[in-house]
Amino acid sequence: MFRLLEESGFTKVRSAVVPGFRFRKGSTQNSAEAFGVKAVMMTALKPE
Amino acid sequence: MTDAADAQASLEAELKGEILRMYQEVADRPDGEFHFFHGREAAEQFGYNPEWLDRAPAGAVASFAGVGNPHERSAVQPGETVLDLGSGAGLDAIISSWRTGPDGKVIGVDLNPSMCIKAQAHAASMGTTMECHEGTMEKIPIGDAVADVIISNGVINLSFHKRKVAEEMFRVLKPGGRISITDIVSAKQLSQSIVNDPKLWAS
Repeated sequence: MFRLLEESGFTKVRSAVVPGFRFRKGSTQNSAEAFGVKAVMMTALKPE
Repeated sequence: MTDAADAQASLEAELKGEILRMYQEVADRPDGEFHFFHGREAAEQFGYNPEWLDRAPAGAVASFAGVGNPHERSAVQPGETVLDLGSGAGLDAIISSWRTGPDGKVIGVDLNPSMCIKAQAHAASMGTTMECHEGTMEKIPIGDAVADVIISNGVINLSFHKRKVAEEMFRVLKPGGRISITDIVSAKQLSQSIVNDPKLWAS
């Protein structure tokens, strides 16, 4: 997504992991961790 | 269409149905148990101001199904126009409306028209207003250069066409506008069995 935002023309693309995000079910969380799934905050600007 | 295109179209239609079903269920049965945290528990986990959650309509809080707090860095100013992509039951749109004030505007877009009706009713119960349009994030149903800020919370990951979503967000933002989105990303390519399973993808 980060790359797609830059390629679409956005600048100052920033991302940070959302602390504390996890799935309720342990089995889902385990699968998510295996795939490196995480929640992120992304910000970006459309140039003037 | 080719067989591959047919299969993709079929998968996308199935995914759309699963997304509608799942998030409608969160809205209709917020006391239910889902594989993700939702409602006030989730919002507090992501740092939503408890005063916002006390003030917002209980139904909007109970149906919250976000994955973070897009308000943390949205820096919404009075008088601005905010677009909430995937506005659901309206909690994030209502919080944004408090920040834009009466001179600003909040526009929601949701795949599910009944969620738009619900979000607008929640906003009206707070004495505020929001536009809400049924539509997709791959073809946002508003004009060019309308929004100062786009927020979104746990929605873009559901799209098969994320490049198109990014291009559409760029189109509808005013020059100098910004996005503040929270979403799920994967460090590894998801297996084909997950990609081909709308229930898992919608998760």
